[in-house]
Amino acid sequence: MTVVSSFLVPGSPLPLVARDNPPWAELAQAFEQAGEALVASKPDTIVVYSTQWIAVLDQLWQARPHLRDIHVDENWHEFGDLQFDISIDVEFAQAAIAATNDLGIKSKGVDYDKFPIDTGTIVASTMLNPANDLPLAITSNNVYHDWSMTESLGKLAAEQAHKLGRKIAVVGVGGLSGSYFRHNIDIAEDRIASEPEDQWNRKMLALMEQGDVTALREQCPTYASEARVDMGFKHFAFLLGAMGGSFSSAVVHGYGPLYGAGGAIVEFTQ
Amino acid sequence: MSKGQIVAGYLAPHPPHLVYGENPPQNEARSQGGWEQLRWAYERARASLDELKPDVLLVHSPHWITQQGHHFLGVPHLSGKSVDPIFPNLFRYSFELNVDTELAEACCDEAAGMGLTTKMMRNPNFRVDYGTITTLHMIRPQWDIPVVGISANNSPYYLTTEEGLEEMDTLGKATRKAIEDTGRRAVLLASNTLCHLHFSEEPVPPEDMAQEHPHDYAGYLWDMRMIELLRQGKTQEVFSLLPQFIDEAFAEVKSGAFTWMFSAMGYPQMPGELHGYGTVIGTGNAVMEWNLIKAGLAQEAAGELS
Repeated sequence: MTVVSSFLVPGSPLPLVARDNPPWAELAQAFEQAGEALVASKPDTIVVYSTQWIAVLDQLWQARPHLRDIHVDENWHEFGDLQFDISIDVEFAQAAIAATNDLGIKSKGVDYDKFPIDTGTIVASTMLNPANDLPLAITSNNVYHDWSMTESLGKLAAEQAHKLGRKIAVVGVGGLSGSYFRHNIDIAEDRIASEPEDQWNRKMLALMEQGDVTALREQCPTYASEARVDMGFKHFAFLLGAMGGSFSSAVVHGYGPLYGAGGAIVEFTQ
Repeated sequence: MSKGQIVAGYLAPHPPHLVYGENPPQNEARSQGGWEQLRWAYERARASLDELKPDVLLVHSPHWITQQGHHFLGVPHLSGKSVDPIFPNLFRYSFELNVDTELAEACCDEAAGMGLTTKMMRNPNFRVDYGTITTLHMIRPQWDIPVVGISANNSPYYLTTEEGLEEMDTLGKATRKAIEDTGRRAVLLASNTLCHLHFSEEPVPPEDMAQEHPHDYAGYLWDMRMIELLRQGKTQEVFSLLPQFIDEAFAEVKSGAFTWMFSAMGYPQMPGELHGYGTVIGTGNAVMEWNLIKAGLAQEAAGELS
């Protein structure tokens, strides 16, 4: 099997930088459980698609062999620095770039000192691969790519891994419902900002647990619209593509609020 | 302390291509030029800014996006290397800037007092966004005037355009009050493109001006209509059309800098001076100036009155 594990995780830095805050502690613990499951699946490479790496011109793949720096989140700078140390599977990235171009989606690699690595990728890498034991393949979210094109990119990633003989863990980084608190709140009292959106999130997570991909596909457009889902839930499309369009069940390791928005750590079983 | 004042506002867009075309020593990427008409427009703006002798430049950038409130750079000295995530091949700029933290704090407090959620950015490792840096480089490449950097709260996108721009209006009023109370001579920089639809592929080389033109005719017509109104000083008409302009031309002024600046200046019904217009990868960019001294709405620097 090429895709040995698959995860949906949020890109907010809050469970990483303030994990002692009770509403975010559950998500931090869930991240740890997912990280243990990821390691147990023994992948060669972790493929990461993050909604926060925004691209508008091409489909970008990170091609710099080693990324080590400090990042400060644009919104949550008061919580301190995000340090990261990430190795890139450059061979995989180059293969993915070529394959993406062959698919008719213009693609290129990014290999620049101080290129801004997005918060979501850093959070996922730090929480799931804290010792940087495994290399990553990181790709961008082109805002003009729709669900179908994003799903085809996930499929392409799995195909390239197969061709290279890689076992991969696939991580879709992004949030669930998107309504958030715009004002200062007592973070200890954080909750999903909208009750209907909370219900939507729970409904979709239940469908994931049941492995009801048909219902998920049917509900996703409405869910994305009515629950203001992060980037139209394209991170789930990437995961679906990588998993060959289906999975049998899922474990929701954690679900909770991120300053009003929804976030969940989900592990899929094929 | 005498009462501070805003002496001018500039529409000062931030395509990194302009820095790339200029080849300053701070930028790693090298070019054969390109986008000269816009760069020459900035040359004229630089000359006029020099005559204004401001104490501080305030810039509102759509590429520092914040969700919880309006944020202000609050570290006295910031430096680093800014790489544009969209055009890393063009913009890898080593920056160093000084922040007028006293004014930034005052802006933050005033805006909070007027009901906005605000936050000071006090992390010394913060990487300043490329929009802020490009606008500041293009208007003042000497980097010898302190700045106040203001984030673009995403309210115009999260709420309705009108609700979001209402917040930017309040932010402008708060900015003006803070400038007056701290005694600064201030210049405002609205780091915004006009029509914002763009091509999805770069030419090779990127500075091949044979490939540069407006993305679409409708966007170009909108830009010309708005610029002509601004040149005529029909500010009220501009702002009544703004939501339609934003909607139909995908105009970047939606992010709030333009409204913030005009609100701070009191929406003067005065002609703006067009220093130049040009497209960058299809988007429409105007460098324009509203000189409040020439309009009799602000005073010259003290040393020049005698």
